[in-house]
Order: sequence, then structure tokens, then C-alpha cells
Amino acid sequence: MTELGTEPDPDESALYVFAVCDAPDPRVFDCLPGVAEDQPLRRLRFGDLTAVVQTVRAADFTDEVWQVRMSARDELERYARAHHDVVSAAAASCPTVPLPMATLYRSEERARQALIEETGRFRTALERTAGHSEWGVKVYSAELPEPTPTTAPPVPSRVSPAPEASAVRSRPAPGAGLAYLERKRGVQAQRERRYEDSLRLAETVDAAFQSLAAAGRRLRLHAPQAEGKGHVQVLNATYLVAERRAIELEALTRRLRGATGARIDISGPWVPYSFVGEV
Amino acid sequence: MTELDLGREAYPIPGPPNSNLADILERVLDKGIVIAGDIKIDLLDIELLTIRLRLFVASVDTAKKAGIDWWETDPALSSRAARNALQDENRELRERLDALESKSDETSDER
Repeated sequence: MTELGTEPDPDESALYVFAVCDAPDPRVFDCLPGVAEDQPLRRLRFGDLTAVVQTVRAADFTDEVWQVRMSARDELERYARAHHDVVSAAAASCPTVPLPMATLYRSEERARQALIEETGRFRTALERTAGHSEWGVKVYSAELPEPTPTTAPPVPSRVSPAPEASAVRSRPAPGAGLAYLERKRGVQAQRERRYEDSLRLAETVDAAFQSLAAAGRRLRLHAPQAEGKGHVQVLNATYLVAERRAIELEALTRRLRGATGARIDISGPWVPYSFVGEV
Repeated sequence: MTELDLGREAYPIPGPPNSNLADILERVLDKGIVIAGDIKIDLLDIELLTIRLRLFVASVDTAKKAGIDWWETDPALSSRAARNALQDENRELRERLDALESKSDETSDER
């Protein structure tokens, strides 16, 4: 990785910006491919901040290409991880503000100009996240999956192999209609209870982590992931936690697991992606 | 640079080593500080992407095998569930109608 000089950008190239940092150690980028194979990751100084950038083929970064790319899981994953690796490497060596994937400029000069205009926001974000990391918390309902609602009582004509059985079908037992309604109500009530329990569990865990964190965000719930345990995700949240308090996370998680019986997974430390967007 | 007093010297390696794709995508797509670029690329948000890429489809199949199908039996979440509930009710009503009819046949025979 070298400091950018004044090399002219050919028309067909564009500049991809990964992150804005304080003063990254250039060596951390040496082994990373970034999002282009033939160009090194570089630092672009603007004012007293540094952007981590890479020259890419503009043809690889058009909206049309990306719409297709977002339909190809492997391809998208490659780009997402490449972006994330560069951001993480930068953050490993200095305070870093990540940019979302695919922020591009036509030329170095255009990039520098845009970055200078945003210097205030970068500084605010750097100050806000200084000494903090992001930690993901996922909570899975501890309960067994809801049983399939029981339907009508066994119906002789359907279960009996004897063809004449249908001819002698008896009338429903007295009160069958009422029992049917009560069964339906029971299933509904059970479903509502489970839903409320899930909400309460999510609130409990969220409140506990909020009390330790500087900030918190709810992310979208992931679709059920089996892992053979019958767990359903009820909370997907992420928290900005001061590094001096990160040591408390494990104990808190253990305590919450004990108190709720729920499966609670934590992941981190992440570069604080989720806490730089509002500035 | 020294102007910013960021108050720390050593930085952890961020990002758990085995982060799954969904965890990464929900950060690199929707989050980060957004600045206007020259080249406009409309990234899908994580929700649409999940639908399009079926990020979790393998897991959902596994989930079904493990009996986790709450979203399928909840009429609010699944059209199939709504249909099943209707079918169940229909079947039950037919059975009862049959029973009533055979009963009324018996009654008229007796007359």
C-alpha cells in the first residue's frame, strides 16, 4: 500500500472507498485483495484524515452489474467479505469509520473533494465510537416449537381401511362443536402467550444490554435457523460497548441465560458499523 | 494524527472470525456512514436480499425437519396455514352435515 500520488485516472477506472480512518498502519492491508484483483489497497489523505481506497474497473461497478451481483450469493459474499476484511483491518490499527459497500468516485480528485466536505461527520463518528466496539446479541426462544394445532377428532371414514366404515359413521358426540371452538381458542391463546413471552424475553435481554452499552440498535430478525435445537430468534440487536466494559459482556450473557433459560449468542467485537450512520 | 483524542492505543481485531454472511451483510449493506458517491448503485436492503438470495433456505428446510414450523401454522404468516385452517373447518362441517343427513334419513324412514 502506497500513499496516493497524482497518477491520472483513466476514464474506465473508478475509486472505491472502504473506510475513513485516523492513521492506518499500511502493513495491515498488504495481504488483502480488496475488491479488485490487480490493484493494491491505498491510502488517500484528505485534511488530517485518511481514506482506504482502491482503484477498480468502472465496468465492474455499475448499477446493472450490481443488480446481477446481488442475485448471485457467492459473488455477493465475496464482495461483502472483501469489503468487511479491509474495514476490519483498518480498524485493527486505528479508529475507523466504515463506509457502506460500493461507495465509488470517478476520480481521486472527486473522492478527495467529497471526503473533505464530509470531514465534520467523520470526526463526529470517530469521536462517538472511539474506545468502543459493536457487539451483536441474538436471542432464541427457549420454548419448544408450538405443536401443530390439533384438528378434528379422528374421523372414522378417513382412518379406517374398511370401506363400509363410512356407511356407519356415527353422529358427532354431543358438544363436539363447542369442543372444536374451544380447541381453536386454546391454540390461539397459546400462540398469543408464546408471542407475548417472546416479546418479554426480547425486552428483558435488550434492557440488560442497553444498561451496559453506550447505544443499541435492533436489527431485523433472521429467519429460523435450525441447528437442530428448535430455537426461534426473538431478538437480533447490536450494541456499542466501551472496550473497558466489554469484559462484562460474558458475565451478563451468562446471567441472562440462567435467568431466562433462553439461548443467547453474542458476537464481536465488530467495527461499529451500526453506530456511525446517524452523524 | 493527534488532534482527535481518541483515548486508546491498542485496537482489537474487529469482526468475529466466523461471522456468517447475514451478519456481515446486515452491516456492510445498511450501515456505515453514507456519503454521496459519483456512481449510483442501488443496494438492496437486507430484507429484500434475504428473499432474493434465499439466504436461509437451507436452514428453513432443516428447521422444518426439526419440526420448527410455527410460521407455517400461523395464518398471519402463511397463506398455506390459512388455507389449511379453512380446509379443516370445511371437512369438519361436511362430516357433521353428513351425520345430520343420515340422521334425518333414519327419522323419515321411521315415519
